[in-house]
Amino acid sequence: MCVTFSTTVHLRAPNSLPLVFGLSQRDDRYNHAAIPLGGLRLGAAISIKNLTKTYTLRSGVKSNAVDGIDLEVQEGEIFGFLGPNGAGKTTTIKMLLNIIEPTSGEATIFGHELDDMTVHKIISYLPEKPYYYEHMTGMEILRFYASLFSIKDEEKCEGLLKKVNLYNDREKPIAQYSKGMQQRIGLAQSLLNDPKLLFLDEPTGGLDPIAHKEIRDLILQFRDEGKTVFISSHELSDVERICDRVAIIKKGKIAAQGKLEDLLQGGRIEVTASDVSESVASTFRSSLSDGIVSWNGGRLIVDVPDSVDQNSIIDTIRSSGGLIQSIIPRRKRLEDLFVETVSDDRPVQNVGGAS
Amino acid sequence: MNAIVSIARTTFAEAIRRKVLFIIFLIGVTFLAVAPGLNVLSARQERTVLVGFTLGVIQLTSALIAIVLTVYLIPNEIERRTIYTILCKPVRRWQFFVGKYLGAVTALGVMMAAMTVLLIIVFALQQGTRDPAQLAPLAKGPLMFFFQMSLLAAVAMCLSAMVQPILNFFLTGGIYLVGTLFGTIFETFQENRGVHPVTKAISQLVMSILPNFGKFNVQNPLINPNQQIGNESMYYIGTALYGVVYIIILLLIGILVFERKEV
Repeated sequence: MCVTFSTTVHLRAPNSLPLVFGLSQRDDRYNHAAIPLGGLRLGAAISIKNLTKTYTLRSGVKSNAVDGIDLEVQEGEIFGFLGPNGAGKTTTIKMLLNIIEPTSGEATIFGHELDDMTVHKIISYLPEKPYYYEHMTGMEILRFYASLFSIKDEEKCEGLLKKVNLYNDREKPIAQYSKGMQQRIGLAQSLLNDPKLLFLDEPTGGLDPIAHKEIRDLILQFRDEGKTVFISSHELSDVERICDRVAIIKKGKIAAQGKLEDLLQGGRIEVTASDVSESVASTFRSSLSDGIVSWNGGRLIVDVPDSVDQNSIIDTIRSSGGLIQSIIPRRKRLEDLFVETVSDDRPVQNVGGAS
Repeated sequence: MNAIVSIARTTFAEAIRRKVLFIIFLIGVTFLAVAPGLNVLSARQERTVLVGFTLGVIQLTSALIAIVLTVYLIPNEIERRTIYTILCKPVRRWQFFVGKYLGAVTALGVMMAAMTVLLIIVFALQQGTRDPAQLAPLAKGPLMFFFQMSLLAAVAMCLSAMVQPILNFFLTGGIYLVGTLFGTIFETFQENRGVHPVTKAISQLVMSILPNFGKFNVQNPLINPNQQIGNESMYYIGTALYGVVYIIILLLIGILVFERKEV
C-alpha cells in the first residue's frame, strides 16, 4: 500500500497538547482540528470525483440516489456526512465499501481503487443497527470477525473488549446485550484490523445518554490514535462536537461542505426590550430584511444576524423611550445550518473548500 | 479458505438454533419414534411398512429443512445488515456465498444423521436385531437423501440470489417435486408412441435442465431386500457425482448473480 504524505503544517488547537507526549487534554464539548502524528497533515483518505449512482425505478424512470458528488476526506480527520433520510448517505458509503457499484464517477481510498482488496484490510464499517449472531458471546463475535482477517490473537480480542468496556461481559451471549453494548461490540469488531479509516453509520442512534457519551468518547479516541473517521449521523450535536469537517447531502447532491468553523460563521443576536411602541416594531420590520421582529404589549424581541449594527437597534429603542432588557448573542449551530440547507432550494455551495 | 470455514461454522451454529427448523426436525423425530406402531395399519410385512415409512419421513423432513433453511440464508443477512460487516472485510462475495452454503449443508447433514441413527434404533428394537449386516444398509437411503438434499439446498441458494424468499420457497419446492416425479413421467412419454412429438421434446428439455432428484431415491431395494441394484457401488458413486456436479453448476450460477447483486 502506498500513502503519500504531504508536508502541510496543520495548526494545533490551543487546548490540545501534542500527542507525542502521550497526553491529550481536551474538552470534547468543542470542535478540535485533526492533529495526527505530531501536527503533520497527511494525504487524502477518501477522494471522490463526480460519483453517481442511478437506479431505474419500476416505472422505468431513472433516479439518481447520488448525483455527481465530489468529496475529499483528509487522513486523520473526523468527517461528518449529513443529510435527511433518503438523501444518499448510505448509498455513498456502500459505494465506498464496494458493496454496490457506482454508475459513474471515481473514488479512491488511500489512493487505491475501491475494488482493490487491499482497501478492505485497512478500512472498517459499522452499519446502522446491525445484527450480530445472537447465539454468540461477545468474545466469540470478535473471534469470528478476527478469523475473516486470519487473525488468531486472543489477547487482541480481549484488549478490544477492555477498550469498549465489555470485558466483564465477554462470555454473555449477544442476545443479552443492551443496545449500547451491541453498538460497542460493533465498534470492537470494527477495530480488529486496526483500520486507518472507519465508516460509522449512525453510531449513536437510539442510545441512552450514557451509552451515547461512551461511543462519542471512543470516536474521539480513534482520532487521537490517528485514524480517519467518516460518520454519517442525524445526531447533529455529536457531529458538531467531534467532527472537523462536514458535508451535507441533499437529494443526492452535496449542498454544503467545509470546515465546521467556516460553515458555522454568522451567528445571531437577540435584543429584548420593554415599553416599546408598536410603531418602533414596524420600523424594524421594514428596515431589517434578515431580522425576526416580534412585539406583544410593549415587549419587543428583535432577532438579527450578528453582522447587523446592534448599536443602531439599541439607540432606536432607547430614543423611543424603550428599556433594553437583554442582548443575547447566539452562535450558529450545526442544526441551524442543516435545517436551512436541507429545507430551502439553495444550490450547491462549497464553504471552506473541499479539504 | 479461513473466511469460508468461519462463515460456514457460524452459519451452522445459527442454523441448528433456528426454532422453525428445530420444530420441523422434532416433528420428523416424533414420526420416526412412533413408526413401529404403524404396522397395525397394514397387512404387509412389518419390515416393509417400517422401512418405507421411516425413509419417507426422513426424506420429507429433510426436504422441508433444506428449503426453509436455505431460502432465508442470504436475505436474512442483508435484512439484518450483517452482510455489510462481513463484506467490508477482506472477504469475497463468492467466499461468503460458498461459506453460507457449506454451513447450511453441514447443519442439514447433522440433523439427517440424527434421524438416521433414530431410524436404525427403531428398526433394531422392532426387529429385535443388533446385527450390523442388517442395520448398516439402512443408512444407504439417508446417505443418498443427503446428496439429494444438498442438491435441493443448492437450488434454493442459487435462486436466493435472484428472487424473494417466499417465491424461492415455492419455486424450489416445485423444482423438487417435478425433479422427483418427472423421471417416471418422462420414461412413460418416451416409451409411449401415442405421445405427441412436441410433448416428448418439451419433456426432454425439462429433463435436461432440471436435476433428476428421483435418481437419489433408493428406497426400493431397502424396503424389499429381494430387489437389488446391479453394480450397487457404482450406482451410488455415479449418483453422488451427478449430485456434486449439479451442485457446483448451481453454486456457480448463484455466485455469478450474487456478485452483481446490489445488497
